[in-house]
Amino acid sequence: MRNLLLSSLIVPFILGLVSFILPKKNKTLACALAIIASFATFIVCIAVFMLKSKFYLDNSYIYTLQYFLVDNLSAFIALFIGLFGFLIVLYSSGFMKDKEELNKYYAYVLWTISASIGAVISNNFLLFLTFWGVLGITLYLLIAMGTEDAPASAKKAFIIIGGSDALILLGMAAVFQLSPFLEISRIHIPLTNNLAVFSFICLALGAFAKSGAMPLHTWIPDSAETAPTPVMAFLPASLDKLLGIYLLFRISVNIFDIQPNSAISLFLMIIGSITIIAAVMMALVQHNFKKLLSYHAVSQVGYMILGIGTANPIGIAGGLFHMLNNAVYKSCLFLSGGNVEYRAKTDDLSKLGGLAKFMPVTFIAFAIASFSISGIPPFNGFVSKWMIYQGIIELGKTGTKLWPLWLSVAMFGSALTLASFMKLIHAIFLGQPSAKKIDDAKEVPAVMNIAPVILAGLCIIFGVWATQIPLRLFIVPSMQTHLTFSGMWNSSLATILILVGLLIGFIIYLLGSLKSREVRQFIGGEDLEKNPQMNPSGAEFYNTVREIPLLQFLYKRAEEKLFDIYEMGKRAVFGVSSLFSYLHNGILPTYCVWILLGMIVIMLVIL
Amino acid sequence: MTMIFYFIFFGFFVSVTAGLLISWIDRKVTARLQYRVGPPILQPFTDIVKLLGKELLLPKGASKITFLFSPILGIISIMIVTTLLWLVNIWPQKTFFGDLIVVLYFLVLPSLGIILGGFASRNPLASIGASREMKLVMAYELPFILAVFVPVAKSGLSIKLGEIISYQSAYGAFISNWSGVLSFIVILFCVQAKLGLVPFDMAEAETELAGGALIEYSGPSLAIFKLTKAMMLFVLPYFIVILFLGGFNFNGLAAVRSLLGFVAIIVLIIVIRNTNPRLRVDQALRFFWGPMTILAILALVLAGRGL
Repeated sequence: MRNLLLSSLIVPFILGLVSFILPKKNKTLACALAIIASFATFIVCIAVFMLKSKFYLDNSYIYTLQYFLVDNLSAFIALFIGLFGFLIVLYSSGFMKDKEELNKYYAYVLWTISASIGAVISNNFLLFLTFWGVLGITLYLLIAMGTEDAPASAKKAFIIIGGSDALILLGMAAVFQLSPFLEISRIHIPLTNNLAVFSFICLALGAFAKSGAMPLHTWIPDSAETAPTPVMAFLPASLDKLLGIYLLFRISVNIFDIQPNSAISLFLMIIGSITIIAAVMMALVQHNFKKLLSYHAVSQVGYMILGIGTANPIGIAGGLFHMLNNAVYKSCLFLSGGNVEYRAKTDDLSKLGGLAKFMPVTFIAFAIASFSISGIPPFNGFVSKWMIYQGIIELGKTGTKLWPLWLSVAMFGSALTLASFMKLIHAIFLGQPSAKKIDDAKEVPAVMNIAPVILAGLCIIFGVWATQIPLRLFIVPSMQTHLTFSGMWNSSLATILILVGLLIGFIIYLLGSLKSREVRQFIGGEDLEKNPQMNPSGAEFYNTVREIPLLQFLYKRAEEKLFDIYEMGKRAVFGVSSLFSYLHNGILPTYCVWILLGMIVIMLVIL
Repeated sequence: MTMIFYFIFFGFFVSVTAGLLISWIDRKVTARLQYRVGPPILQPFTDIVKLLGKELLLPKGASKITFLFSPILGIISIMIVTTLLWLVNIWPQKTFFGDLIVVLYFLVLPSLGIILGGFASRNPLASIGASREMKLVMAYELPFILAVFVPVAKSGLSIKLGEIISYQSAYGAFISNWSGVLSFIVILFCVQAKLGLVPFDMAEAETELAGGALIEYSGPSLAIFKLTKAMMLFVLPYFIVILFLGGFNFNGLAAVRSLLGFVAIIVLIIVIRNTNPRLRVDQALRFFWGPMTILAILALVLAGRGL
């Protein structure tokens, strides 16, 4: 176990270092090295997970090694970090083929894997924060490898993440005031005094910034437009969710133990609800599909926070399961979106359309992941959302009157999610081909389709066999309390019924006459082929929503970035510094005037 | 195995028969309101058989698998909902936790089938129609969810349909209180929109979009859409009966009463359909997010106070 644990940290780190010092020209070598390293790490993570669950079935037993600790939660998160790392490196080997400085790119990815695993298995708070800080740096470096605008958004991400690291440090200092230990596993603080609440909020804000909850989400949409697509699929979509929610889970369950109906639980639920609705409303009106997906990456965090905020076992398990599901389908969406970008060379929705015929595999993967994220049964998103709803209902039974608010926000948010994914599917894959023809419209190389297909498969497996596989293996063992699923939504039965239904539909087709022929579309007697401008791209579908009086006002403010803490902070800082820069304008006569005025003042005072 | 039998029997045959009969009532009443004679009782069945006999037209350059799969998506989900509703009505103990939420989710899928089908037909008119359908779903989903919470709140926070039914059979139907009446009104309009009937038929809008999302469908694929619509005409009023009237009662006088309730809901839907002009989609959005949502919230507040 000891060697395995250390090698999961050291292997990606050392091989990343090797890749970093490779000559720039050796692209293939860097790529091969990264694939081997990430695969080896994945295998090691599997081994750690197997060993953990084989020998230490008892939930209370945890494996410790000086500053490290492996319990069920960290073993399962490390397993998925390994999986995502491997899939992203595999995907990058196709997507990033023509980019420059590949050796550095792979080095950063490998270091990210290493630091993420380190963060989840470290038991010492300071060590945890060190790994967490390294992740901020690699995030900055990876985002900055995108388009020419990327450094600005990378800086934004770095400032928000770095600032929240300072908050974590502050929260940690407060924790240290209350408890003499630095080992995470030994800290148990009741949320009774103000200092404890303060430190919880500081640590939670750190988790929010990492996972992208409001109001600290703004780095995700900004970097979506500029960062390389695999980076978006790797960090904001999957790894940062795993890590951010891991931290939130650790602090709210292990360290502080939040209670239902407490102020902290209310705080988390409010943040979660606002994040769900506001982000999905922003997603509805986006024109750039990567930006649209990134707003969903924000919106989904709301569900996880809402689930953990209910503070009852089923809700927390739902939040944790949603974190896993979100990582799976969101990276699948980004990667299959990346396939489209790879062929079409654009991420503008109005320039895409009708690609389903040319890229069937990508389309199917994308469609499955969008059904999952919209919570359509029997895919995985439905099960975890259902558990969160159950958590909210359980919370309602304890006497709070606010349950309809939380539940309606969560359910309505999922309808809006469906709406914006329908828009994406229309604008990218179905609908009319764009007026400007896409020259290179065909399926991407097989190596780029492996990851989306595996992830789409996981969406189905985690949905259909939810209780048998992910809940039994990963989620329930990670919970401290015992959970039963009696009378639960029976996903496998529903799947069988859906298959029978498919059969019935098929029989109806067979009952009909089997003659079929292709005809021209009816558009009032015109010929579609001769009128390529008759093409509602879909990007404008939901402008009706934007024109509703109150929403119009909010959208306008949001587009002026009035709700963006970073932008507001920037404005405040520049406002103050503009005063100084006005004084220090570098013109000699001005300085002379100031010196003269100063002398006069001094004279007046002294004399 | 018994589930599959229930699924095929209740989910398909019973609801198809009932739905087609109700669609006959709909056509007959509409005709009488317009001083026409109206079709004979078997007309809806004949229509389906006729459609099955027609050849299948596929739009050129469209994504054919999605085009043919979308109608089936709708019918499957309606079958699952019907099966669930029948099961919990007949055997309230067969309910499982959260089946109400499952029903709510599955009730969105028929619209999703229409939307995907419209998108897949590569016709600009279909795209516009489907986008209107999507906006309509967004519009009515919020008041619909809130109105469904009223029975949940009144039955002591139960999201099991079986418990909602047995609570009502013990303490009386929810429609007899103020909150029940208000949320019933809200849910009636939402059901009207779910069914795509006037005044909320902007997705098909025969006069401007020539059928909208369904414009390219013909033959068997159109027949499946028609079947789905007919089944929804049965399932959605049935859902209201379960939520607000305590489900169908099968013995004696109570059976007559619940049947009358069911027919009354259908007549209300038909009357609304025949006395209103079509709204624009932005008007529908404002209608549902404005007055309907406020009414639903009011109903919830009243329900919280036990009224």
